[in-house]
Amino acid sequence: MIKHDVLIVGAGLAGMRAALEVCKELDVGLLTKVYPSRSHSGAAQGGIAAALGNSEEDSWEEHMFDTVKGGDYLSDQDAVEEYVKAAPRIIYELEHMGCAFSRTEDGKIAQRSFGGHSKPRACFSADRTGHAILHALHEQVLKNAKSIKIYSEWYMHQLVIEEGRCSGVVVSDIRTGEVEVIHAKAVIFATGGYGRVFKITTNAFASTADGAMAAFHAGIPLEDPEFVQFHPSGLYRQGILFSEAARGEGGYLLNGNGDRFMEQYAPSRMELAPRDIVARAEQSEIDAGRGVNGEACIHLDLRHLGEARIMERLPQIRQLGIDFIGVDCVKDPLPIQPSAHYSMGGIPTDMHGQVVIDGDGTPMEGFFAAGECACVSVHGANRLGTNSLLEATVFGERTGRSALEYAKNAEFGKINESHEKARVLNQIEEIFQRDGSESYNDIRNEMKEVMMDKCGVFRDADNLKSCVAAIQGLKERCKKGKVTDKGQLFNTEVYEIIELGNMLEMAEIIATAALARQESRGGHYRTDFPKRDDQEFLKHTLVYPKNGELELKHRPVVITRYQPKERTY
Amino acid sequence: MKFALFTGCVARGATRELMLATIKSAEALGIDFVEMKSATCCGAGVVSEKNPVLTDALNARTFALAEEQGLDLVTICSTCQGNLKKSECHLDEDVEYKSKINHVLKDGGHQYEGGKIKIKHFSNILATPEGKALLKAKIKRPLTGLKTAGFYGCYVLRPSELSEYEDPDNPKELEELFEILGATPIYYPSRIKCCGFPIIMMNKEASHAMAGNALIEAVEGGADCVVTGCPLCHLSLDSYQPEIESMQKKHYSIPILHLPQLVALALGFSPEEIGMDKHIVSTVGLDKILAQHV
Amino acid sequence: MAKFRIKRYNPEKQADAYYEEYDYDFPEGATLLDCLNHIKWNMDGTLTYRMSCRSAICGSCGMKGNGHALLACQRQAAHLLKDGSDTITIEPLGNMPVIKDLVTDFQQFWDKVDQVKPYLKTKDKPPEKEREQSPHEFRKIDEATTCIMCGACYSDCNVLEVDKNFLGPAALAKAQRFVGDSRDQATRERIKELSKPGGMWDCTHCGECVERCPKPAEPFYRIKELMAVGLKEGVTNNVGARHALSFVKSVKHSGRLNENKIPVESMGYFNIKGLLDLVPVGLRMLLKMKIPPIIHKPVDDVKDVQRIFEEFGE
Repeated sequence: MIKHDVLIVGAGLAGMRAALEVCKELDVGLLTKVYPSRSHSGAAQGGIAAALGNSEEDSWEEHMFDTVKGGDYLSDQDAVEEYVKAAPRIIYELEHMGCAFSRTEDGKIAQRSFGGHSKPRACFSADRTGHAILHALHEQVLKNAKSIKIYSEWYMHQLVIEEGRCSGVVVSDIRTGEVEVIHAKAVIFATGGYGRVFKITTNAFASTADGAMAAFHAGIPLEDPEFVQFHPSGLYRQGILFSEAARGEGGYLLNGNGDRFMEQYAPSRMELAPRDIVARAEQSEIDAGRGVNGEACIHLDLRHLGEARIMERLPQIRQLGIDFIGVDCVKDPLPIQPSAHYSMGGIPTDMHGQVVIDGDGTPMEGFFAAGECACVSVHGANRLGTNSLLEATVFGERTGRSALEYAKNAEFGKINESHEKARVLNQIEEIFQRDGSESYNDIRNEMKEVMMDKCGVFRDADNLKSCVAAIQGLKERCKKGKVTDKGQLFNTEVYEIIELGNMLEMAEIIATAALARQESRGGHYRTDFPKRDDQEFLKHTLVYPKNGELELKHRPVVITRYQPKERTY
Repeated sequence: MKFALFTGCVARGATRELMLATIKSAEALGIDFVEMKSATCCGAGVVSEKNPVLTDALNARTFALAEEQGLDLVTICSTCQGNLKKSECHLDEDVEYKSKINHVLKDGGHQYEGGKIKIKHFSNILATPEGKALLKAKIKRPLTGLKTAGFYGCYVLRPSELSEYEDPDNPKELEELFEILGATPIYYPSRIKCCGFPIIMMNKEASHAMAGNALIEAVEGGADCVVTGCPLCHLSLDSYQPEIESMQKKHYSIPILHLPQLVALALGFSPEEIGMDKHIVSTVGLDKILAQHV
Repeated sequence: MAKFRIKRYNPEKQADAYYEEYDYDFPEGATLLDCLNHIKWNMDGTLTYRMSCRSAICGSCGMKGNGHALLACQRQAAHLLKDGSDTITIEPLGNMPVIKDLVTDFQQFWDKVDQVKPYLKTKDKPPEKEREQSPHEFRKIDEATTCIMCGACYSDCNVLEVDKNFLGPAALAKAQRFVGDSRDQATRERIKELSKPGGMWDCTHCGECVERCPKPAEPFYRIKELMAVGLKEGVTNNVGARHALSFVKSVKHSGRLNENKIPVESMGYFNIKGLLDLVPVGLRMLLKMKIPPIIHKPVDDVKDVQRIFEEFGE
């Protein structure tokens, strides 16, 4: 049995930042189903928020207010306050590690405007900020190789919970197919999101809800799963991300008539309104037949920025347009559409990254979560752009410290190794034994299609009910598939089937929570309940597993400084 | 056809037979070469290790000389060709940079304007429709039966954003010329790879292994000889072939020809007239092959 | 209809690799990765490859298409069908052991990245806020920091094909990312390390890595930048640096190469073994009268050339 003081699952920004914290005193295992540098954090483009005030005076209070308002008042404000206050220190620390940031003429970290932020506070590295930070952290992890053992291309199957405490995980080495138990005093999940549940998504193929579902299968609830962010500028039909920085730098959104339609939806912030509002505006234009050429897309127009500005600030976006659709944004506008981007919900934690299992904040000892897979909740019902890289690093650090403190004072918990291994081996064996005629590919496509159509930017009761029913049908069909690769060695087919199983369960959870929330707030919009309803729904959702069904409970929202107000831009 | 001839250093030094064959074949084809006697070394990718701006300045001076002559510039070395194209791209894509360099050239009485002349390898000239027609008309001895393995010399191909070579992964120019000359082209993966010459003194084993692998591929592909557009490749593949053979414990003794030598053979020159007797690896075997198919 | 000719290898089933063909009439705009996914999900679930972000930033899907390394997600399949060919050949990356089908073992690749100490080294305590760095200084690491560690350059590197000891383009680009960083304080130490055999001077200038790099990192240009720093720092006790200096001296002196002098000066007058290595080829060339003229004639108007050298402080 492999042993580490602390085991971290996921090696993106949150996981690696946590590892750097824990390794100061203890031994860390850092497990990822890809390689650390291939984590999806690297795909983040536009920036990381902090009130440095390098180009305009700024304060943490303003950052906090923008975040809370952007989240439609569902954020837990005690956590938001800690988060925005830590931001400048976290950025300086990244800079000291060697992260390459774009600079102002006087040598400071440059900052640009972003949706929903009232000040230019997005620190950036051209249009590859996530990449720059991911690699800077990876460099530090390599530097600390003595105390951080990396398990690249290992898959985490399940949590081990014994006597009300987390004592490890069951994993497999993708290369050999070998199933192993890793014994740890504390486990941190930093497993990212689940955008792959939707047809059009900016997310990597790896974003499949593995972490969320492993927690859920261990009886831990998921918080606010109905809040899924749709990014306004995913490439038409493909979802490939074109950063909001394109609008931060001054890009326009044009409908099929060539109008800057944001005038009708957010006249004061225009293209730089929060993402939920811009995505809805786009979808409304498309639904009203004002898409470009009557198709389901909008134009992102950067031509007026000029080649020099584009090459300095948005070079990657230009190349993506050229490579993927043969459109050079210097000369032509880019076709875009709302694309599933970020999960505001996730594994419930307190503001220290400690996973909690109910509305009273009861901790699951030894189990921590950070980054997109966690729901702290700082983003509430809608996350502002550039706040996710910040969340991953701030809460990566905080969670790492919490896990470190916990593990320093804890013994290894109990593990029945053969029993835990057998559970996973049986699951894999069951997949090998299936001998049906259903196509996993069809099931996956139908799931993505139905989630996009019925549980997307606009939702209503009828659609959500039929969505839940459709997903349940797909779950049944999934039992009747058949695997063609029966080998042990690097069997990606089997992992894709496991991931599909996780996504189907996650899809049902999202739709079920969306059906229950009979109001519109942030990223969750119900056409049959178009108003926010603070009376009934100013609370977090908690979804539990219960005898094969789902049970919904709630967790109160923490409100400290900013009372809920009407949200206009 | 009239061009400014940029001979490069090696054709005037260790591979003078290249110069000889170039002049002979050009004369026979009626191509008028005006030698650029004041042009400097292209830098060979080495001067730029020390000072990239100096390299571009030296080459800008060379371009200015060709502009003054009013002639397109022709190279007979892949390394020269690649390095001159690099400098040309650097200068042409940045007006400010060009004017900074011109400021330095001014005191010598030169100015590089840009866009006035083209920089072409001799093989590029021959591979134009005009060049091909000329070759076809002048061939006296088709090289029927000769199996030739082209070796491009990597500078002429890569980086293609600077060499402006159309299809660096699948070039056809040499092979097309071979066919026109009556020879049979041999295709093998290493024809577009490095000959190892640039590191021949830094890492002899690796250098010889690169050259040797190419030679083995060519031999196994059935080639009678390797034909290159680069005198540095020629040095690596020919002058060092005995070392390569003993390092790889193989014996192939495959002749290495400069492209202008192959052209000159087809135009009727004898091997001695074009310096083939100067090669380290004997080319006598080729005479027999050619004799079989007269 | 396009034919995808894919190199398959699964040591669990059979020891040797083989090619398998799949026909797929891919839609317009499909990337190579889209095609592989179609094949895996509809035709043959055993086909194995890596992929994740499908937007050319994670670096997972490096492989060879028609013999050259690329990112499958970044390449339009139609672009691989040239000259009327109906076949696209897909193979695993080169210069690495193959694990299964298109999945290769990156261990050596990462080991070499580790070798260049891939993290910022500073001596001074950092300031309270950010370290200052001008936009100009940032631009010196701008390209190198775009590297996504996909292994495309490593796969096709001409030197690595014959010498596994070479650090290779990706690790050297990573090294430049720190050597070029105004905040790093270990330049000389790094350059000394990089000047050893297997380091930057072993790059053969073939440009293959620039051709394959899917991002602006373009390692060969970064290697040239390293060399310039090496010469500037005076780390010249090695053949590569001596060669460059001798070369520059020669061009300054006569406008062109002195082929008789450069090999000797590069090896170093006290490098007996190196000098002896030159003897056989030298003798051989002498016998064939291939030795360049002993009297080294300068180009016309060499004074102007020397003036330009001086203008640039050389």
